Amino acid sequence: MKFTLRIWRQRGPNERGGFVTYPVDDVSPDMSFLEMLDGLNQRLIVAGEEPVAFEHDCREGICGSCSLVIDGVPHGPERGVTTCQLYMRRFANGATITIEPWRAKAFPIIRDLVVDRRALDRIMQAGGYISVNTGGAVDGNTLLIGKEEAETAMDAASCIGCGACVAACKNASAMLFVAAKVSHLAMLPQGKPERTRRVMAMVRAMEREGFGSCGNQYECEAVCPKHVSVRFIAMLNREYLRASIMGTRIPARSDAPHGESY
Amino acid sequence: MAVVNGEEREEMNRANEFVDSVGSKLVASLAGLGLAGFVIFHMLGNLQVFEGSDAINGYASFLHDMPILLWTARAGLLTAAAVHVGLTIRLALRNRRGRPVPYALRRYRAASVASRTMALTGSLLLAFIIFHLLHLTVGVIDPSAPDGMDVQGRLDVYGKIVHAFRNPLYVGIYVAGQLALGLHLSHAISSAFQTWGIEHAALDRLFKLAGPGVALFVVLGNLAIIFAVFLGWLHP
Amino acid sequence: MIALDPQVPPGPLEMKWDRRRFSGQLVSPANKRRIKIIVVGTGLAGASAASTLGQLGYQVECFCFHDSPRRAHSIAAQGGINAAKNYQDDGDSVARLFYDTIKGGDFRSREANVYRLAQISTQIIDQCVALGVPFAREYGGQLANRSFGGVQVSRTFYCRGQTGQQLLLGAYSALCWQIERGQVTMRPRTEMLDVIVADGHARGIVIRDLVTGRLSAHTAHAVVLATGGYSNVYYLSTNASGCNVTATYRAWKQGAAFANPSFTQIHPTAIPPAGAHQAKLTLMSESLRNDGRLWVPVSPSDRRSPNEIPPSERDYFLERRYPRFGNLVPRDVASRAVKSICDEGRGVGPGGQGVYLDFSDVIRQQGIDVVRERYGNLFEMYQRITGENAYEVPMRIYPAPHYTMGGLWVDYNLMSTIPGLFVIGEANFADHGANRLGASSLMQGLADGYFILPYTIGHYLAMVNRPPIAEDHSAARAALERVEARLRKLVQAKGRQRTAASFHRALGKILWDHCGMSRCAAGLRGALEVIPVLREEFWRDVVVPGSGEAFNQELEYAGRVADFLEFAELMCHDALHREESCGAHFREEYQTEEGEPQRDDERFAYVAAWEYRDGDTPALHKEPLNFEFVQPTTRSYQ
Repeated sequence: MKFTLRIWRQRGPNERGGFVTYPVDDVSPDMSFLEMLDGLNQRLIVAGEEPVAFEHDCREGICGSCSLVIDGVPHGPERGVTTCQLYMRRFANGATITIEPWRAKAFPIIRDLVVDRRALDRIMQAGGYISVNTGGAVDGNTLLIGKEEAETAMDAASCIGCGACVAACKNASAMLFVAAKVSHLAMLPQGKPERTRRVMAMVRAMEREGFGSCGNQYECEAVCPKHVSVRFIAMLNREYLRASIMGTRIPARSDAPHGESY
Repeated sequence: MAVVNGEEREEMNRANEFVDSVGSKLVASLAGLGLAGFVIFHMLGNLQVFEGSDAINGYASFLHDMPILLWTARAGLLTAAAVHVGLTIRLALRNRRGRPVPYALRRYRAASVASRTMALTGSLLLAFIIFHLLHLTVGVIDPSAPDGMDVQGRLDVYGKIVHAFRNPLYVGIYVAGQLALGLHLSHAISSAFQTWGIEHAALDRLFKLAGPGVALFVVLGNLAIIFAVFLGWLHP
Repeated sequence: MIALDPQVPPGPLEMKWDRRRFSGQLVSPANKRRIKIIVVGTGLAGASAASTLGQLGYQVECFCFHDSPRRAHSIAAQGGINAAKNYQDDGDSVARLFYDTIKGGDFRSREANVYRLAQISTQIIDQCVALGVPFAREYGGQLANRSFGGVQVSRTFYCRGQTGQQLLLGAYSALCWQIERGQVTMRPRTEMLDVIVADGHARGIVIRDLVTGRLSAHTAHAVVLATGGYSNVYYLSTNASGCNVTATYRAWKQGAAFANPSFTQIHPTAIPPAGAHQAKLTLMSESLRNDGRLWVPVSPSDRRSPNEIPPSERDYFLERRYPRFGNLVPRDVASRAVKSICDEGRGVGPGGQGVYLDFSDVIRQQGIDVVRERYGNLFEMYQRITGENAYEVPMRIYPAPHYTMGGLWVDYNLMSTIPGLFVIGEANFADHGANRLGASSLMQGLADGYFILPYTIGHYLAMVNRPPIAEDHSAARAALERVEARLRKLVQAKGRQRTAASFHRALGKILWDHCGMSRCAAGLRGALEVIPVLREEFWRDVVVPGSGEAFNQELEYAGRVADFLEFAELMCHDALHREESCGAHFREEYQTEEGEPQRDDERFAYVAAWEYRDGDTPALHKEPLNFEFVQPTTRSYQ
């Protein structure tokens, strides 16, 4: 198969980027999209040019590294998969394929198609955890969790943190990501003690990173490789409303259970 | 022990001063729902035009006879509109900053036309409402409009309506206004369920249909009046 | 000259860990605040260790080469995690998990370590539940279990097909908490390129900032490596593309012994490579062998489509060779059988690399719906990758390198032969012997990180409390210079324009052929001759575009390939010297007439720990394995 690739090239965060067109032939329909790019890069290296930088790791759809907007859709034309699970047989021979990075203020470009997604980590650091010490946990069966609740929590927890939701959103909002994280922990009894503080802290962290707000358009759900439902955004809104009514203001950061003892 | 440095604390305070986007949306949608409620009420009230001039003029004078209620309602509507417009403009500006470099190519999968044009339909709607107030409430747009009282000495609302919608220019403007209203409402109302965290496996379809349903209801009601006059079914 | 002292506490097996915890010195809380620990890697082992050390009050500096600590390859583990909870009341116990693991490892692991692992397994589940890991539950709300990897009890806990990811997200969230508290400083997109050893102790590391390319030395009171396994030495494996041996290999060159490097596990049911472009192999669940039948055409020249080949002209080779277990023989046996069939030229699919895994019989007997319910997601994945519908034509499968039991040698305290250098998770050699059981890698990573290392490192720090060396200490400068020189060499080597990947692929083929599922002396000697030649060509001909002072993925990759090219020799030395067949290590010379592996406990009941010698072949040291509590037996599946 043959394709014409229009790829966004940008040498650094503060440099001007632009599209460069590369013809590729000799593409097998059994190649994954990333293997097709590997092939292009091998050719560029031998020709003394710099290869196209793109993020990838597990190549089986679970690590969340790969992050390409292909023909205007994050992770490309197939639903429910990551870029690394996309195969060339999905494309028409001879097609022109446009490849861009995730675009959002909160995801600055590092090089070419690689963006900095640490904003998502910082949201998690603001409250996406349960504060329990290692050791001293009670027996796992002491907490009874109904199968349905456990399954719904798992649905939310299946988010792989790739950021496609942000990339797809008209407003570059991270609501689906935050909603998945908040809902996962809010569903479970272990997560309940900190739920008020958590949702407020994570929403505020999201604001600080410069993500937009939710427009309820549900593009995020439509591109999510793990089919995380927008119903979790409703749940996040509910958690937020509940936390607002419960009256916690900005979380006191001094509530960590350690530190004062010595 | 976690240490919060000065810069961070300042940022936290700043975040605290203003309502964040999730809160803004809650408030904006609340105000919007208030406005939507009025729009439904307004349409239903106006349908009395089909019962003749006596009914609608009586209805108007009934409302005008309670000035405290009337002005409270007007003040409430004005506040709701100001809050809704103010917050949504702020959100929209913020959202625009969320993606400084646009995509060269963008394909949508789920977003409806209505949802993608909320800012546009909202702005058109605002312009239309101002026009509508100046036109039929204050009465400064059309100098040829009858500015009189009916035979019983009540405000002749019926006469004004009939006069206005015989003119194709006004019909055109009002139909465009209704289009903006319909699109805006169809996304807004379904969206409000989501914003308020109301989701339910079995009822989700209903919530999704609520927006287009209400929008269609309001728009059809209003268009019925306009076209009834324009096509000559309602006589002066 | 290194000394291997396993530091196993005396006394009965079940008391050893308690005794060690009691005899270990503690660090006072006030002192902990002044102690800095470096943790490299943020998989299950690294993230759980870094978060627990932070919670204990140490200052932790944590490094990973990913953009986020949540992406380490632990996430890809699907099956589950074992624990001797005996929630099913089906006869499980700590002793049974211990015995299964020792036996599964073909009696090449340390009893005391394995017993401790089994003891701690139950605490891991509790800890993960407390952290919010959404384990599968029964309707009554209790934790669900399944049986996994052919064991007779149901002791595997799971989160759908995402167990690794959920356990890692649990550890990552704990890490996030410690980052928020200021106890852990997280440095993503950094790659460790050397260990700094001063006065015989590990005192820091050299890292390259992958965004700016800047090199820097980081010093601390102790260093923990949690850098995973090296299956990618085979080029094609189930590992993520970033997985590499660099951290442990560079530590080896600084004096840490490398144990059993040739013990690599090959998983039988992966999707076969489709062509030279293939970048990785995708694993399919082993459970497929419960209902699928493996076969190839009897005649190597048979090129008909599989559905046209009548049963009489099919060779159901596992059922023929192992009538008792048939298609359900263990991983290593199945993998070897598939490879030998393909080596005979009877393989199917592109390049003859594959055998059929046929579901037509079960579909005929039980209906397509039953198969769809059991394996629907796997069939879907198979179709996505190959474009073939396995309900209609048989699947094709081929073995793939998966996990490495070998790793840096560590004592009972998880410390390497360099004092102050601790190694945890897949990066060490400790608990799986010559073969790992399914659902045990997650258990080991978390046991090391949450529960073992935080105790044992405290003892070291209490005993050896020396302030970190300055970042411009001569040892740090020397390490920086080593790294700089190597990087410069890579960027400057612009010979005949061959890419690093082409060398990696060539190396992978050599190892796969001669140091893969089955090995023989002649093949290994041959490999030891060609690998240095390939390495020489690499340094002469490799082309790495761009500079070292910027984000440069090709430079990162070429550096890893360069280390694989050296490390591969160590694997071959180890495989050559071990003149027996045990677990995943199968030497063709040492098999019964029926083709079964022959273990040699007289001569090889030891851990082979190799010491680096500059300009010379590595030196072998032996840690004898004494089985006080279990008696080695022979595995047989015929």
